[in-house]
Amino acid sequence: MMNKRTPIQSVILYALVFALVIFCVFPFLQILSTSLKHPIDWGNPSLIPRVLHLDAYKELLGLMPVKEVDVPASIQRLLDNPALSAEKKQMLLAKFSSGSDVFPFGRYMLNTFVISFVTGICSTFLASLAAYAIARLRFPAQSLMANGVLFVYMVGGVLLMVPLYQMSVNVGLASSAGGTIFSLFLIYLIQTLPVAMYMLGNYFRTIPFSLEEAAMMDGCSRVEAFWRIIMPLSKPMLFTVFIYCFVIAWNEYLFASVFLKQYQDFQTLPLALQTLFTSKNAIWDRIMAASMLTLLPVVICFMLANKHLSGGLTDGGVKG
Amino acid sequence: MSSILVKNEARLGLKLVAPAVGIIGLLVIYPILFNVYLSFFDVQLNGSKTFVGLDNYTDLLGNPRYYHSIGVSVIYLIGTVVGTTVLGLAASILMNQEFRFRNLARGLILLPYFAPVISVVFGWQFIFDPVNGIYNHVVVDVLHLTDTRENLIGNPDSALFVVILFDIWKHFPIAYLLFLAKLQSVPKDLYEAAAIDGQNAWGRFWHVTLPELRFVIATVVLLRIIWNLNRFEDVYLLAPNVETLPIFTYYQAFAGIVDQGGAAAISVIQLLVLVGLIWLYVRKVLKW
Repeated sequence: MMNKRTPIQSVILYALVFALVIFCVFPFLQILSTSLKHPIDWGNPSLIPRVLHLDAYKELLGLMPVKEVDVPASIQRLLDNPALSAEKKQMLLAKFSSGSDVFPFGRYMLNTFVISFVTGICSTFLASLAAYAIARLRFPAQSLMANGVLFVYMVGGVLLMVPLYQMSVNVGLASSAGGTIFSLFLIYLIQTLPVAMYMLGNYFRTIPFSLEEAAMMDGCSRVEAFWRIIMPLSKPMLFTVFIYCFVIAWNEYLFASVFLKQYQDFQTLPLALQTLFTSKNAIWDRIMAASMLTLLPVVICFMLANKHLSGGLTDGGVKG
Repeated sequence: MSSILVKNEARLGLKLVAPAVGIIGLLVIYPILFNVYLSFFDVQLNGSKTFVGLDNYTDLLGNPRYYHSIGVSVIYLIGTVVGTTVLGLAASILMNQEFRFRNLARGLILLPYFAPVISVVFGWQFIFDPVNGIYNHVVVDVLHLTDTRENLIGNPDSALFVVILFDIWKHFPIAYLLFLAKLQSVPKDLYEAAAIDGQNAWGRFWHVTLPELRFVIATVVLLRIIWNLNRFEDVYLLAPNVETLPIFTYYQAFAGIVDQGGAAAISVIQLLVLVGLIWLYVRKVLKW
């Protein structure tokens, strides 16, 4: 501010900043550290592992060499029997290999990525159309819709889980895997649309109208002006909004748990991680490595979008 | 402008909002009404319904678990709202000072807010783990405050406080962002004038910063209440034994003896409270 700090004040300031940053970052360091520790090292309070132990990551990413299966001698004799077809041998082997022990992390990550990506794209696109209309055009019931969006955004998912589940049962979507995923996609769409519309609407208002006007003078239609002038100018914000929607879908647990419980192959990471944690395979290093890998894409997205994200969220202060 | 142009603009506007508003109408507005309808039925997971009138509501109002979860929610709300507001305010004042690595620090303290709940939850569980966790190590082995290692998350009463702390950790950054944005726009001469008047740092905070931030603080408090009333994942994933209202609703609807109609009734009551709060927000806060 206006006066220079005394040395003591500086020390206090840096100490406070350091304390705050540690408070925020410590759980992340704990996750990273535990994911790299050997089980014998867990009780060690130091964050630095005694030995670097990468097995958990290798296992999750499928880099672990396939373990030789322990087969009882009697079965081994059966397997050595040339009369047995290869197919039968495979089936026998499969019974003894510990298939339930493998956590198909890559599969869950792909599921999560696909649904988050599609949600992000669709939501950003639909929201940009609607936000442009609300920010720039005059039409009936406009302010009702603008305020309605805000209202809708504050109605949390918990209040809608029963009716949405019942609706998808009634329509018959919940009875097939494809239908369930489609329901989930629609739900992620409504969870992201209002905030996307809000952020984009605020942003479009900051673009000078004279730019569109000039384009329309040059013979562009309104739609062309939107498409050729506004959209390219808004690229950074569109990207930010996409990331924001992507992350919301990536993190979502409640509806995934309601809809995907019985479709194990299509589960998303949050649900799969929770299942892993409560299962007998729960081992700290594996859970932490999985957490780390779930976290990583979000942190990368966050770093990419950080600049605009903070501003976009606070302009008008909607998201809490 | 001619009336044809006005009409064209209106038509285009409606066309552009139609998909988004249609989806929101179908999947938010309709379910809210459908929920009210469902609350008068005994509803099964497979969709079969029998009309029971007001039974769901009378059952609910006679259910001690309901009142217990309201109590838990109230403690949760008070703790988290006060915690995030105070910490967010402190952080914003701190981060508004000039110091080296300020941008790095500003970025790092946003991390908790953006991280997926599911992955940070395990970090927190490990910290409070009775066998390996650093919390028990510090409390028992370093500070010798107690002799026994405790499972804070295993016990619902202490878990509530862990959950509150977790929520503060996770959500103070948004309060901080809102405060910081406002702080940066407070004119410097207000502080200078206060300094000339002989106000020390505390006096400047009390007479300049707080009044300037009054509306933002109200916004943050109200938004935190609205959001945390519906908060599910942060609580359920960290400590499923802490039964706030949303978690009670979830158990009613999808776990044990399924009572979807009862869950719908809880949601209807909660929605009424929520609409009141949102109305307050739109009326009092957005108008400012």
